[in-house]
Amino acid sequence: MFDLLPHLLNGLVLGLLLALIALGFMLIIGLMEQINLAHGSLFALGAYFALMLVGPKPPLPADLAAQWLQIPLGWRYGMALIIAPCLAGIVGIAVELCMRRTYGKDPLYGLLLTFGVALVLEEIIRLTWGTRDHVLPVPAGMSGAFLFSDLIWSRYRFYAAGMAAVAIGLVWLLIEKTPYGAMIKAGAHDSEMVRALGVNLSKLRLGVFVLGTMLAAFAGIVVAPIWGIRPHMGVDAVVPAFLIIVLGGIGSFWGAVIASLLVGLAVGISGAYASEWSLLSMYLLLVAVVSIRARGLFGKKSMLEV
Amino acid sequence: MTGSSSEARLITPTMLGAWLVLATVPLWINAIGLYPYIGVEIVIWSIYALAFNLVLGTSGLPSFGHGAFFGVGAYAFGLTQFNIAANLWVCLAGAILAGAFAGLIVGLLIAHRRGIYFALMTIAFGQIFWTISVKWHSVTGGEDGLLNILRLPATFGVVSFDISDNETLYYFVLAVFAVVVMLLWRLVNSPYGRILSAIRQSETRTAHLGYNVWLYKLSVIVISAGLSGFAGGLFAMAQRSAFPDVMNLAQSGLIVMMTLVGGGLVSFWGPVIGVIIFLIARDVIGAMTNAWALYFGAMFVLLVLFRPEGIAGGAKLLMERWKARREASRVLSSAPRSG
Amino acid sequence: MALIEVEGVHVRFGDRVVLEEINLAVNEGELHGIMGPNGAGKTTFFNTLTGSVKPSRGRIRLEGADIAGLGPHAIARKGVARSFQIMTLFNDFTAQENVMVALPAFRARGFDVRRAVAGDSALADEANEVLASVGLGEKAAISAKLLSYGERRALEIAVALAQRPRVLCLDEPTSGLGTDGTTRLAELIAKLKGKLTIVAVEHDMRFLFSLADRISVIHWGQVVARGTPRELQENPWVKRSNLGSFG
Repeated sequence: MFDLLPHLLNGLVLGLLLALIALGFMLIIGLMEQINLAHGSLFALGAYFALMLVGPKPPLPADLAAQWLQIPLGWRYGMALIIAPCLAGIVGIAVELCMRRTYGKDPLYGLLLTFGVALVLEEIIRLTWGTRDHVLPVPAGMSGAFLFSDLIWSRYRFYAAGMAAVAIGLVWLLIEKTPYGAMIKAGAHDSEMVRALGVNLSKLRLGVFVLGTMLAAFAGIVVAPIWGIRPHMGVDAVVPAFLIIVLGGIGSFWGAVIASLLVGLAVGISGAYASEWSLLSMYLLLVAVVSIRARGLFGKKSMLEV
Repeated sequence: MTGSSSEARLITPTMLGAWLVLATVPLWINAIGLYPYIGVEIVIWSIYALAFNLVLGTSGLPSFGHGAFFGVGAYAFGLTQFNIAANLWVCLAGAILAGAFAGLIVGLLIAHRRGIYFALMTIAFGQIFWTISVKWHSVTGGEDGLLNILRLPATFGVVSFDISDNETLYYFVLAVFAVVVMLLWRLVNSPYGRILSAIRQSETRTAHLGYNVWLYKLSVIVISAGLSGFAGGLFAMAQRSAFPDVMNLAQSGLIVMMTLVGGGLVSFWGPVIGVIIFLIARDVIGAMTNAWALYFGAMFVLLVLFRPEGIAGGAKLLMERWKARREASRVLSSAPRSG
Repeated sequence: MALIEVEGVHVRFGDRVVLEEINLAVNEGELHGIMGPNGAGKTTFFNTLTGSVKPSRGRIRLEGADIAGLGPHAIARKGVARSFQIMTLFNDFTAQENVMVALPAFRARGFDVRRAVAGDSALADEANEVLASVGLGEKAAISAKLLSYGERRALEIAVALAQRPRVLCLDEPTSGLGTDGTTRLAELIAKLKGKLTIVAVEHDMRFLFSLADRISVIHWGQVVARGTPRELQENPWVKRSNLGSFG
């Protein structure tokens, strides 16, 4: 049993990171009833923007760059955590302005539109930063490893899990404890009512889309030091996010979080026995759950099915 | 839908025209700076796209994991050749059966879904097949793929044609394409095809008319998957190998894109138009820049924004406008006399 | 024995009870009207009767056989057809095609892929006959989405009639129709009356009271009153709700 502990912990960490990736995706699907296939690319974009700020070659004139690099890594990293999601958020605004035209239509159009956006963003990433892998430097205090019960643990994983947990908590507070959350939830079920409440639905949607994008970008920065930065990272991340949404049930916050943890644990534990096949475990989990509960763990009947 | 007379036919004038044009391709393809192999690719992907459109355009089921069936067919073609019999027909039958079987498994789990849930589930299943193809090294060869697949001779009783060079292979796949087009045209215009179309327009109503919608959806998924597997088998033969990447999400998205670009939602021939445009654009743009995906993605965004019904849809709209204008001018010119 | 017997039907959505203890019997050949305020559960009752909503308990019998819990297609095959309040037509089909797919002869050939539909004159003739019976004889070749609102309402009923049903369920058939349209619809339904068993949910009191043999009033998920139109005119509930102001 004790041999499993590291796998369990790894699984838990993975679960939290996946939840962070899936949350923004969930918000958008819940309110707009459209699948944002570009979520992965925005996630990747967050990581690349952070690389720009934290990495050794900031895109600034030489003297400014030198000054910028004078700032301690910890500070730059901290700023990247805020600035990079904002930059990605600007891209998100552009995407939402396009996506607007698909609201209320067959979800196919949103899917296809964002598929095109994903192709464009991934190609832009390739052209700008090249196809090779990059490493996102993290402050010394967060990197390195420590020894615990005869095993070596990577320190950053725990920081990453912590940051993910904080972000998840903040999203929960937003949804459950603020009037905005009430509007978002109402909008998902009843856009008429939101209008009746005097809320500007298109502004609400734009806001939620940008929030979702920023969450994606933030997730990209947090995950980057673990998974590495490469153009394809978006697709690698977005597929588990899909899965989690279906598994947890569309439009359910806790569904998404619990599904993420389940997926993380499934991948972690199966990794202990057959690491080659650990990725398959999440798909099998999905098939198993969905054949029993058609709308996922916490899903309610959705407008999207009509 | 150009009137009921062509719907009732087995072979339409459009089909004949398309086959004739395609039959001349090897004569001029080199002259315009392309090469015969792209013709082979276009024809095979056209079969794939037509098979896919049975699900998307005819039945309205947004599948984002169709690459799985195409890939399963490709591997099945190679594996049948290596392990069962190196006979073209046996291998192609293996590809069809494997594709249809994969379709049956997936269909059983998703045929009761619609809309976004359907799309998400197909993505998940596509990924499952892709992961298996990458990881199951001993069978699929993993990332390296399944190599040394032969272009087997096509035997008809005592006569046998060698189809190992690109030109003869082209004529072989073209003949197959002709048969597939004929069968699909009949299928979409049959009662079965009408009911699939009714399901796309309103699943609720169709169910209340006494049709077991689930069974129809399942059956069309199986047929489409079998035919996609068939196309995959042909592709493996053409490429002389099978790789996992035809199964990944991007490739599964591409077939959706090709079908839509051409106008598969409104036209039988839309998917073929889309494939021709896409594959030629890939080669032409690809020769000029490495970033062809950038242009293609951008084109796609614009298409969804401004012409979601695709190229065939745009053409149809123009036709209708032209007809309406002609009609209007006729009415105008006849108005004084009648008034 | 009544043709349709509904016994103690409950429907819940989550923790919300939409129908509570509905009892209803409809005789063969009867035109049974259902009325009640918005949100009273009329449409849910219809959905339960035709199979798209499963009752959490209770029985629905058609000729004595329990049909509660069967899917919509199974119930339709037993001869129950329905129209929809929110029109549910096949918009890309012509009027003729809309009717054609509803014909039992078409349904019998559902998995047929050998013959084309076009050029099958038997199906076309039968469909045209149904269209003519609702006054759409001239519109056969017109795409459903191009028909006028009134024509679409008529087509909605034609599709249900094409199923050759024993029981016809009409969900607010006059909804959105003007006086003219309503009059024509009343004529059509008067013609059908007696040949078919009809259950009609309707807001238009004049329409319902002139046609129905009996009427049930549903409110708060329950049948609060029932009887012949004459009996109901005296009913305090009907009087109190301004619904009684007709005639």
